[in-house]
Amino acid sequence: MAERLKPVDVVTIGVGLTGSLMALELAKTGLKVVGIERGAPRFTVPDFQSPAIHDELRFSVRKGMMQDNVKEAVTFRNASDETALPIRRWGSFLPGTGLGGSFVHWNGQSFRFQAADFIYKTHIEQRYGKKILDPELTIQDWGVTYDELEPHFDRFEYLCGVSGKAGNIKGAIQPGGNPFEAPRAREYPTPPMKEPYFGALFRKGAANLGYHPYPQPSANLSQPYVNPEGLALQSCVFCGFCERYACEHFAKASPQTVILPALLKNPNYELRTNCQVLRINLDNTRKKATGVTYADATGREFEQPADLVLITAFPLNNVRLLLLSGIGKPYDPKTGEGVVGRNYCYQTTGGATVFMDESINVNPFMASGANGTMIDDFGGDNFDHGPLGFIGGQYVGAIMTGGRPIEFHPTPPGTPNWGLKWKQAVARHYNHTVLLQQHGTSTASRLNYLDLDPTYKDAWGLPLLRMTFDFPENDIRMSQYIADKVVEIGRAMGGKAVIRGGTKRPYTTTVYQSTHNAGGAAMGDDPRTSVVNRYLQCWDVPNVFSVGASAFPQNGAYNYSVTIGALTYWALDAIKNRYLKAPGPLVRI
Amino acid sequence: MVEISRRTVLKAASLVGVAVLPQSRAAAAPTSAGTQPILYLFLNSEEAAFVEAAVSRLIPDDDQWPGALKAGVPGYIDKQLAGAWGAGERLYRSGPWRPGTPSQGYQLPFTPAELFRTSLAAINKELAHATPFARMSSEQQDAYLTHLEKGGKDLGGVPSDVFFTHLWESTLEGFFSDPVYGGNRDMAAWRMIGFPGAYASYYDVVDRHGIKIDRAPTSIGEDPHGGIHINPGIPAREP
Amino acid sequence: MSVDSIALNFKALGPIVGMGIMWYALAAAQADDRPPDTARGAAIAAQGVAPGAPACAQCHAYNGASDGSGAFPRIAGQPDYYLAKQLQDYASGVRTNAVMTPIAKALSSEDAADVAAYYANVNAPFLPLKDAKPMLVKRGEQLAKVGDAAKDLQSCNNCHGPGGAGEPPAIPYLGGQYARYTAFQLTMWKRGFRKNSPDSMADIAKRLDDQEIAAVAAYFQQVNASALAATRPKE
Repeated sequence: MAERLKPVDVVTIGVGLTGSLMALELAKTGLKVVGIERGAPRFTVPDFQSPAIHDELRFSVRKGMMQDNVKEAVTFRNASDETALPIRRWGSFLPGTGLGGSFVHWNGQSFRFQAADFIYKTHIEQRYGKKILDPELTIQDWGVTYDELEPHFDRFEYLCGVSGKAGNIKGAIQPGGNPFEAPRAREYPTPPMKEPYFGALFRKGAANLGYHPYPQPSANLSQPYVNPEGLALQSCVFCGFCERYACEHFAKASPQTVILPALLKNPNYELRTNCQVLRINLDNTRKKATGVTYADATGREFEQPADLVLITAFPLNNVRLLLLSGIGKPYDPKTGEGVVGRNYCYQTTGGATVFMDESINVNPFMASGANGTMIDDFGGDNFDHGPLGFIGGQYVGAIMTGGRPIEFHPTPPGTPNWGLKWKQAVARHYNHTVLLQQHGTSTASRLNYLDLDPTYKDAWGLPLLRMTFDFPENDIRMSQYIADKVVEIGRAMGGKAVIRGGTKRPYTTTVYQSTHNAGGAAMGDDPRTSVVNRYLQCWDVPNVFSVGASAFPQNGAYNYSVTIGALTYWALDAIKNRYLKAPGPLVRI
Repeated sequence: MVEISRRTVLKAASLVGVAVLPQSRAAAAPTSAGTQPILYLFLNSEEAAFVEAAVSRLIPDDDQWPGALKAGVPGYIDKQLAGAWGAGERLYRSGPWRPGTPSQGYQLPFTPAELFRTSLAAINKELAHATPFARMSSEQQDAYLTHLEKGGKDLGGVPSDVFFTHLWESTLEGFFSDPVYGGNRDMAAWRMIGFPGAYASYYDVVDRHGIKIDRAPTSIGEDPHGGIHINPGIPAREP
Repeated sequence: MSVDSIALNFKALGPIVGMGIMWYALAAAQADDRPPDTARGAAIAAQGVAPGAPACAQCHAYNGASDGSGAFPRIAGQPDYYLAKQLQDYASGVRTNAVMTPIAKALSSEDAADVAAYYANVNAPFLPLKDAKPMLVKRGEQLAKVGDAAKDLQSCNNCHGPGGAGEPPAIPYLGGQYARYTAFQLTMWKRGFRKNSPDSMADIAKRLDDQEIAAVAAYFQQVNASALAATRPKE
């Protein structure tokens, strides 16, 4: 029998980026907020210090900071006619856990989505007509526009201290920035990072071909900075251990550096770690949440009553909790009805390997997670798709994030997989090779969705999330088209041999691609095709908000953390200024 | 051949700090490359003989740089199999087990320790009737490893390509991981490629394009005098 | 090399010295083209460069160990890139010191590269100095290896290497450096008087109080001696 605790105003399920940011702002208004985090507490000092944190085996190969598959995995199949099986070891994506969530060990790549991304369906149909869309694609508008989000993008970038060069300030194109970016009100809070050699080589090659190289916006800061919460960040030292690692220098924007010290000082906030939320509880009407039930580290169950429940648990877990709690109608791929789990998307990535002359010391180990030089000429809808027969795009760049040898030891085509010649090729090419990235849109399809697995369970006996996904053919055509462009840039950089990238089907969970899982609890204006309204409030249960990339109806070309931050501030605005004054549905239809 | 007791365990290996593996235990497995005898905690002498010979072919010595054997990869693999990783750390281990598609990844019930034990038993049993792997010529060993790599052979329930992948990945890890885990002896693999190691701060030189960084690499387990203190028991979890 | 020829070289380069920053920057960029001459550097260390640059050995000792007082830093075995950069910073005014500034200005970029290479390659014993209070050393060890959570201070060793052994080419060793010198430099950064490394060392030094500065300095002064004792066999 779960022990019933004293009621609080707000509960956040998960204390990562969205959970800590939501709590920070709501605790400031005087509300009593409890953050329930399934993982352990951890802080820059002592937990993230070097040299222990610079352990490739532990963190990159064994995925030490990630959700533990022993307790909670995900099942997977490419299509509905297969049987889903557990992802027994993470590969393709790496769900985080612990205080701060995946915002601790992200790469700091800090793009905004483009204006067209938020009105994707309208934009594509207007520009190209419906005929350009393959029949299974289910792209949608978000219900919010870029212009509405711009002040929130700005606020989030200044919270993090993002280092970059603006490309478009209020419509005026700025030299040195990305000329394709959506207009912004002002410059980035700190200037761009220093450009490593691989970036400079790319810049030259891309510029020679007439493209528009620019410095990647980075939340690994270029210089010391104090954010509006009074929290200080230091400058990144390019240690080469960024993604999958925590930052020892207070240089990466994470909840630990930009939110938590302020949040934990607020007496209105209480943090509970090592507590697994099992479900959101609803009253008899099934239209109101009464709170959550969770199990602590000993397995004892508690009921935490709350007026407002915020699901801030990472996109996959958000959707799972909605399904486990019976909030919203689950999607049925056979009938096309239902919304929870619908429009699950991922990211379409790939890239070329460019072998340079052996006189060029690339030094890939001197890198940060977001020190790339890139072009947006093939991003989103920045080029004419009419004659091409697909929608969507990818950014392209030299964005090496380290030279950690267990993962990175490139050899040219024709090298054996092991043995003496392999070893000699590794020694020969390690420091003279550049990796190019292509990173792009993931188009929503009625074939790709999330639901609950009928067979496999987590350590608490609850069904695992089941993922049914393959890359839509549209995205394959996009990726293959751009792969050729990437090879051209590789050659223009002076590459002596270029191994072409590009995505192929079937999607496999065994090779890392991205942790930008998105969708499954889409936002929108129409409850028939969305789970949450434009303020991330559940249509069915108005005192539950599902915050995070689960709200994306499809995924844009860019890394999505900053867009999530902007949406979080946008939802907070609605909660603070409207919902709290008059709790109830914020959108009436 | 002397069988080493698996209970001759180094208890200090679980402590962070000075936990240098003793090299002097008498009943050590024979080694094929004349290196110091290794105290095996998990592998028996037949299994160790296969692993030593196999990793010597996967990443051979050459006159410039040591290979996997001299780098201490067999000892690394042994400590991993004997520890939490071998026992199934971070592996979802609930059934039912069904064969999956390649996209679905590993779907066998074996932990890494069970997988190695099962596969090596099958291999050694098969080769006992012919030539044990360690006594084959290099060409024969390469051919045998290629044969395993291709798949299509069942090793007591483990498809041979699955075993080969585990063996190859463990070899890579043992070769390139931080020497705190017992492999990458003298950081020779890092010296070979020019990777500077665990202490890493490059703000001042990241924009000195093409600069040659040729300092000695540094390890997590390093003391101020360059001695490496081994701790293979570091758990694969968050700090 | 004879004194006359050194003087001749210097005179030939004399008018260019006055261009300050640009010249040193250019020279640094070209440094890879002319490998440093360690023997010539030894001569400069022993005899100086006339006029204006007395022998480095007068303060830093010929073996780079200076004296035990800590008034002058130990420079033996520091990375040559770092030593040359400090000379460059002294000459350009980014770093200022009443003694070092005129000396650095009197050296050509080749002199600087050569003498830096000499001292980078010289070995010197760590002097057996009086022990500081154990609690102070312990606190310094904590800051060096772990940092301080309350002050958002990361560990010194992150950048300065195991036991403060340094991270060549750009980051100097602290292990075995004189406590008095280390403490003085941290204080100079803290008070805004030392101006190179503004984005890292100045930022860090400002968070340290005087007790912490003394602790870190005391720890690093003795780290090499104590580590050596620790690895000696116990029989």
